[in-house]
Amino acid sequence: MATRVLSQKEQDIQMMLAAAVHLGARNCDFQMERYVYKRRNDGVHIINLGKTWEKLQLAARVIVAIENPQDIIVQSARPYGQRAVLKFAQYTGAHPIAGRHTPGTFTNQLQTSFSEPRLLILTDPRTDHQPIKESALGNIPTISFCDTDSPMRYVDIGIPANNKGKHSIGCLFWLLARMVLQMRGTIPLGRKWEVMVDLFFYRDPEEAKEQAEEEAPVAPDFGAVPDYGAMVPTDQWTTEQWMPDAAAVPAAVPPVAGVEWTAGQAPVVAADGWDAAAAPLPPPPPPVDGVAAPAGGSSGWEAATSAPSPSWE
Amino acid sequence: MAERGGGDRGGFGRGFGRGRGDRGRGDRGRGRGRGGRRGGRRDEEEKWVPVTKLGRLVKEGKITSLEQIYLHSLPVKEHQIIDTLLGGRLKDEVMKIMPVQKQTRAGQRTRFKAFVVVGDTDGHVGLGVKCAKEVATAIRGAIILAKLSVIPVRRGYWGNKIGKPHTVPCKITGKCGSVTVRMVPAPRGAGIVAARVPKKVLQFAGIEDVFTSSRGSTKTLGNFVKATFECLMKTYGFLTPDFWTETRFNKSPFQEYTDLLSKPTKAILIENTES
Repeated sequence: MATRVLSQKEQDIQMMLAAAVHLGARNCDFQMERYVYKRRNDGVHIINLGKTWEKLQLAARVIVAIENPQDIIVQSARPYGQRAVLKFAQYTGAHPIAGRHTPGTFTNQLQTSFSEPRLLILTDPRTDHQPIKESALGNIPTISFCDTDSPMRYVDIGIPANNKGKHSIGCLFWLLARMVLQMRGTIPLGRKWEVMVDLFFYRDPEEAKEQAEEEAPVAPDFGAVPDYGAMVPTDQWTTEQWMPDAAAVPAAVPPVAGVEWTAGQAPVVAADGWDAAAAPLPPPPPPVDGVAAPAGGSSGWEAATSAPSPSWE
Repeated sequence: MAERGGGDRGGFGRGFGRGRGDRGRGDRGRGRGRGGRRGGRRDEEEKWVPVTKLGRLVKEGKITSLEQIYLHSLPVKEHQIIDTLLGGRLKDEVMKIMPVQKQTRAGQRTRFKAFVVVGDTDGHVGLGVKCAKEVATAIRGAIILAKLSVIPVRRGYWGNKIGKPHTVPCKITGKCGSVTVRMVPAPRGAGIVAARVPKKVLQFAGIEDVFTSSRGSTKTLGNFVKATFECLMKTYGFLTPDFWTETRFNKSPFQEYTDLLSKPTKAILIENTES
């Protein structure tokens, strides 16, 4: 244990250890062997975090080299990475895609969601294999967090890390974002970043609901409905109509926050969709949670939710 | 097979007759060349709204030659790009209209497959294959696909390096299906020594003298023409000593003109007003 003051790099590595970034998978892809320190007795590969940190720096340099940050696409199909991806995009100016990647977004010029990014950042080459395939066709360099068992085909910069745990993914994106901002000069080097790592962690809908419960004392006004199948006051129906209209939701946050945390089965996609909508506003933590909560709650009507939310991607 | 014959005997007979008739039409189609579309439709062609980044750069005039596109291996998705860059020099020729049929409960469903070769006779060729229900549509589609597939052709010398390159730089071969086409450098004045089909393609490419040799079922025009096209593609893939010097990398046009590209186009503004 070092009792002296730790350098920035050492502090980061301590944080990564706490988030279990160093724990790989039980299998090891041959191209990832160089990043593995050792294999534990129970079969888990231990990733060399020093190398992880170096690759993070390399990736950050590449990201900073892109003049227009809007040309960078950060993507995660898996729920654990979606919140991190949205927050990362918010702080670095990139373009996030959370949830399903519609095939053809990078290749089909007739699609409405067609985009030609200069750089692609992914959380997992295995689950995000479709964007990798398409970026190969479109000359798009790809950066990805790779676990020990991740296929490295068409991945240009692979950052060895655990991409299975929610703390791990959040921590990595937080570190990457901070590195990018430091290199750009937005944040001074050496000082702590005031944005917390926890902001990048995935939250279960129940967690999000509890958070909102603590924060929104407006509940009693609407006669809080504890059941999914219970009678719905008219206000909740209007919010459902308001769902497709992203601009309205932030305005509707205060009255809605009280009601909507009852039905807690939000697909996290919806929650983060609202985060994306709130991104242009300056994000102090409480309103962010408040915005997440109504999306979380109102999806008791899941059919309504799942229909509009994918279209936000 | 027996059941199918029994089920639509009428259709079978009809199809047979139609097949013969179609083949006749096909022969006429070959001689037709650029026929089919006359004038008109000028408005659509002029109002090209580029969708891709490359399209925007070409329309603005930032990219002046196809070679810049080839250098960075940029995929070309809009045929107007080629039109703007090669413009009037590009000639096209319909190689064959082939009727192809699919069997349905109610007889055969015939479609027409058009093979079109496009080229300025100076180092660029393109091959397009399109199948459609009408001949004219097929030809039009094939011309567009041919333009999208335009490839640079490397020419070299047989012996003394006097004058412009006139033949293939080395012996190369291309294969498609069972057809292999081999091209061998020839001295000036030899002309294109090839069958009718590859001769057309090589003329469009701008190769003046070449000896060829082919193998396989060259009767299948589709494969024959694709094999020669593949062969021509390989001319720039062959590493000769003049390529031994280290490449000096240039900035990709997307990086160079990133400011221009980040500006929103009118299309985006229209979307905003609609929504």
